Amino acid sequence: MRMGGGSGRPGGRGGAAGKDAKGGPRKKFFVRRRKVCKFCAEKLEYIDWKDVKLLQGFIPERGKILPRRISGTCALHQRKLQTAIKRARSIALLPYATD
Amino acid sequence: MRLYDIVVLVTPELADDDAAKIAGEYKKILVDGGATVVKEEPWGKRRLAFPIGRKREAHYVYWQVQSEPAAVAEAERRMGLSDQVLRHLAVRVDEELKRSAKMAERLRKKAIKRPPRPPAPPAEAAAAPVERAERSES
Repeated sequence: MRMGGGSGRPGGRGGAAGKDAKGGPRKKFFVRRRKVCKFCAEKLEYIDWKDVKLLQGFIPERGKILPRRISGTCALHQRKLQTAIKRARSIALLPYATD
Repeated sequence: MRLYDIVVLVTPELADDDAAKIAGEYKKILVDGGATVVKEEPWGKRRLAFPIGRKREAHYVYWQVQSEPAAVAEAERRMGLSDQVLRHLAVRVDEELKRSAKMAERLRKKAIKRPPRPPAPPAEAAAAPVERAERSES
């Protein structure tokens, strides 16, 4: 019984190794470009809520705020971007929603 | 004294001069309250991103003002009462600007301290750590 329990763990390790093996070919299919935070890359620290052209790049057609997982913006800058967009919306520089 | 960004949207039914006059009234309130105008930019007639009270355009007027909070509060209160003003927004910006300037300074210092390190002695041994470092920076 104990022997069986002990052998279970190596089996688990074997499973993990199998996942690694699966991960290999997956990488071959997707050549994913690494996303970089635009504000970090260009060293823009202050995100101006009056800069409509800049903010519009983070507003897809529907008018919603582009999520971080798509734009690649870092958490800090996404937060600043979010307040900037919301301020711009309040004075009708940007839409809340469009159809 | 604090630094504020103030934007006022004046109704589009007025001519440019009249809109400027109305905006001037609020500027006067600010100046009388001890404010100094740092920047003044009339953005002119702009299309609104969405209609406000059946109107699709508005005269935008922007100021950057060094002011006491009380003067800004009074100007905002009057803007809210006016029918000619569609929207208004006053945002305190000095602290945010200071913070971001500090961050920019820190980034610059970091860049000076750690210049790009292409001259790596053994080619193969150096290649791997550099790659890893780039990833962790993101």
